[in-house]
Amino acid sequence: MKECKIGVYVCNCGTNIAKVVNVEEVAAALGKIDGVAVARSYKYMCSNPGQEMIIQDIQKLGLDRVVVAACSPRMHEPTFRKALENGGINPYFLEMANIREQCSWVHDDPIEATEKARVLTSAAIKRVQYHEALEKRSVPMCPATLVLGGGIAGLAAALELADAGQQVYLVERENRLGGNVGRVDLTAPYLDSARDLLTEFITRINQHAKIAVMLESRLAELTGYVGNFQARVEDPQGEIKELPVGSVVVCTGYKEFDASRIKSLAYGWLPNVITSFELEGMIRKGKILTKEGKVPQYVSLIHCVGSRSQEYHPYCSRVCCMTALKYAHEIKSAIPNSYVSDLYIDMHAFGKGCEDFYRKSFEVKTMFLMYEKNHPPRIREAGPDDDCGMFIWVKEQLSGEEIEIPADLVVLMVGMEPREDSGDVAHLVNISRDKHGWFIESHPKLDPVATTTDGVFIAGACSSPKDIPDTVAQARAAAARILAKIAKGEIWADAVYAEVDEDLCSGCRMCNELCPYAAVEYDKVKKRSHVIYAMCKACGACVAACPSGAIKARHFTDRQIFAQIEGVLPWHSNHVS
Amino acid sequence: MAFEPRIVGFLCNWCSYTGADLAGTSRIKYPFNVRIIRVMCSARIDPTFVLKALSEGADGVLVCGCHPGDCHYVEGNYKAMRRYALLKKMLRSLGIEDDRVRLEWVSASEGVRFAEIVADMTEKIRKLGPNRIKAELIHDRAER
Repeated sequence: MKECKIGVYVCNCGTNIAKVVNVEEVAAALGKIDGVAVARSYKYMCSNPGQEMIIQDIQKLGLDRVVVAACSPRMHEPTFRKALENGGINPYFLEMANIREQCSWVHDDPIEATEKARVLTSAAIKRVQYHEALEKRSVPMCPATLVLGGGIAGLAAALELADAGQQVYLVERENRLGGNVGRVDLTAPYLDSARDLLTEFITRINQHAKIAVMLESRLAELTGYVGNFQARVEDPQGEIKELPVGSVVVCTGYKEFDASRIKSLAYGWLPNVITSFELEGMIRKGKILTKEGKVPQYVSLIHCVGSRSQEYHPYCSRVCCMTALKYAHEIKSAIPNSYVSDLYIDMHAFGKGCEDFYRKSFEVKTMFLMYEKNHPPRIREAGPDDDCGMFIWVKEQLSGEEIEIPADLVVLMVGMEPREDSGDVAHLVNISRDKHGWFIESHPKLDPVATTTDGVFIAGACSSPKDIPDTVAQARAAAARILAKIAKGEIWADAVYAEVDEDLCSGCRMCNELCPYAAVEYDKVKKRSHVIYAMCKACGACVAACPSGAIKARHFTDRQIFAQIEGVLPWHSNHVS
Repeated sequence: MAFEPRIVGFLCNWCSYTGADLAGTSRIKYPFNVRIIRVMCSARIDPTFVLKALSEGADGVLVCGCHPGDCHYVEGNYKAMRRYALLKKMLRSLGIEDDRVRLEWVSASEGVRFAEIVADMTEKIRKLGPNRIKAELIHDRAER
């Protein structure tokens, strides 16, 4: 192998590294290794003067490899790669040694920490000699987008994209647009009509030249990769339409919890125990009545049905508290002499305008009763002499008393849960689900609408319970992310991916099955497999499995990792007994 | 000099390496004995990596990936788990003690757990003594 000219830079990180690791000693020791042309320590390698030092050394000393011993590569690898590029060499000729997060911050003994920093950095020096120049490659970006689900999220995403002049295919399973929002009457906390919210969207969508609405349709298959997907959508006649799309927004929403699972609430057994969606139906028809056709005198709202419970769903469904308060307003205005009680665990009023709305609920004289999570209310039928249809037993937390309250109509605030088909959808578009079945975002805080599959975005309640404002914000955010990609016109695929040496490949196809992204394709003519690099996410599962050793993980090759193993286990280390 | 085990840790980029970084940012202390090598996914860890480390004189090898169901690459950790089961069979037949080679799930939020695993593993290998293969290899090299 050709002798490399390596520059080694040991960062002090102010005192973060230098107070435990003797950085001067590390740099001096590493400077003696064959191939190391220069070894320096500096206060802050990531600072402009630090980067400039690397650039100058590349240009003046003719360095062709750089090792930076500093913080985690997850932090500054892009920074230093850029410095190499600015110095005029391939950015992948960099290797970092993590001597802060995995050395100076976790060890106290300066002698041990200094030795470890030296060993980790010398392993990086060994590894970097096997690095190869890698080029990122560009693929074209198809500007059309597939939006899955015609609820409020799908409608918002579709309009945002189409208004920017891009083609949208809006696929909806049902025979109408609007989703779950289309099932409610007013919305909390400002009491706007859900119908008004939707009508504006739906009217514009139906007239939009750039939006193709496909009702009673479903995604049958999605192949390809970011910028270049092929969607196969099945229409109501069972015919398959092939749609080329560059991006996908999954807006498949949620379904309500099945209240009959909680036996003590008697849903499905006592006719006047209903769910929140059933009450919405009554309000939309303009009549709140019991099954016997009577106007109820006592109405009870029970929160957290299926939510915040270890037995059912441990999470909070986020919208039910405000919806329950909304019912108190609606019931009181429809039946002014009724008694409304509200049975809750904690009142979650976190959204904009929600705390005010909670306060206003006291004005309509709602009786709030706090129950404890582990002692949910129990409902029983009243006797013929009672002036109510049912009684609700509740262990009231604030008074500490066990009481029974009368009820003619009980409304169960059913929580949100993932749809039954969420597993199928996840599989179709290759995204992950959490332990409850919600889709997982790329990063919960910093990248909430992207997924681990490039080009597939999620918005709204398909990733966790959400209210309408958050849902619409996510849908528009996903659209913005897609528009940014479209504006660039091309996609830069990372240079780190797997590569098949067709001369070594035996055509066994083991890798085809192992790839979670179907990125390894079999060429029936050549009888060899090859990797579609834009689809490869560089996990390396195929590399480790290939019986012929024909697959190379670029930037994580066997040789590079072996060199690093040899590097972290020096034979002459003072720990060899 | 007292025996100090040398442990090589192969950590996946998305969960376990990030978890080990979190131990650092949280300033959680653990024994210096572990030396970490980053891979993209636990499924990238070829059994030969483990064998290579043992033959280079590692007293222990720690393989860490995302918890089941949490893999960044959907199911890479399950592949790692199956490979590990086969590797373990082979290592047992070579007389390599169970405590020397371990597979553990460490999420990006489990800095404490990572530190505990390293501490526990170091302690157990201290009791086991040096990797026998290493002693034989040193002997072989001296002979040559």
